[in-house]
Amino acid sequence: MLALARLLIIGFVVLTVIYLSLSLYSRSVRRGKLEREWDEEIHTGDRDAFIEEGMRAYDGSLRKKLILGVYVLPLVTVTIIIYLTNFH
Amino acid sequence: MFYVKWAFVITFWVLVVAFFHYTLPQHDVARIADTYEKRIDFGENSIFWTNQGTGDAEGTVNRDVFFIQAFRTDDRPMIYRNEDTGWGWPPYFKFDTANLQAEANNLRSTPNDPQWAVITHYGWRNEFLSIYPNAISVRAVDGPDVRIIPWLNIVILTIVAAVSWAIWVRWRRFRAARIDPMLEDIGEGFDAAGDSFSDTRGRFRRWRDSWKRK
Repeated sequence: MLALARLLIIGFVVLTVIYLSLSLYSRSVRRGKLEREWDEEIHTGDRDAFIEEGMRAYDGSLRKKLILGVYVLPLVTVTIIIYLTNFH
Repeated sequence: MFYVKWAFVITFWVLVVAFFHYTLPQHDVARIADTYEKRIDFGENSIFWTNQGTGDAEGTVNRDVFFIQAFRTDDRPMIYRNEDTGWGWPPYFKFDTANLQAEANNLRSTPNDPQWAVITHYGWRNEFLSIYPNAISVRAVDGPDVRIIPWLNIVILTIVAAVSWAIWVRWRRFRAARIDPMLEDIGEGFDAAGDSFSDTRGRFRRWRDSWKRK
């Protein structure tokens, strides 16, 4: 059981690093898109308020929740491997 | 310098290929002759053995290990070990060693009346190091000529190739955009320094020569 605990802890740390990097990257891409959209198409009103509203919409969106798949995918893969190896 | 660079590149690729060849599963068509258990004391080749079965005591210097003796289709023997990989490396998560031993024992046969089986395994057989491939699973087949397509290997190697290519392309773009212009600037700086240095030397030499021609 100690080996399992070790695997889970190391896996959790690594996946958290990946999750944070992916999350920050996704936010910066979304912010870049909002800025470009305002600069090219809208040009009226408060730029910062538009971007903040867009970012708040992003925070509640499905896309942001999908990044949690970084935790789910390895767990599912390991479960499938265990099933195929041990229980045919 | 040319040879040094190529030595590094070749060494790198040899290591990568060796790693994948050892770790990815392979399939052998074989006739199982016998199964046995032997006490192994881990010496220099200890990295080629896995850990104890999950739940057993850790860190022992010797252990009983299951083995499977088999003959492949070219009638040459191949001995497999049968060990748990547990939660460790390689990530096969194999826990059912004793079950597999029972299944393999069930498929034993003689040369006159062979029962062929496909043995999935990873690892290398090296007589000089006394290391054995680790059998993962065994299944009975009708005859020695069975067509086996290694789907998992194909998928894994394709994904690895795609990821490496993606990283390499991005590295090249980054280099062209950021590093090469900076290197050019540095090179120009060196050239300018070299010019001014040779100017200085020229002046010193002329002053020294002015002392010579007396």
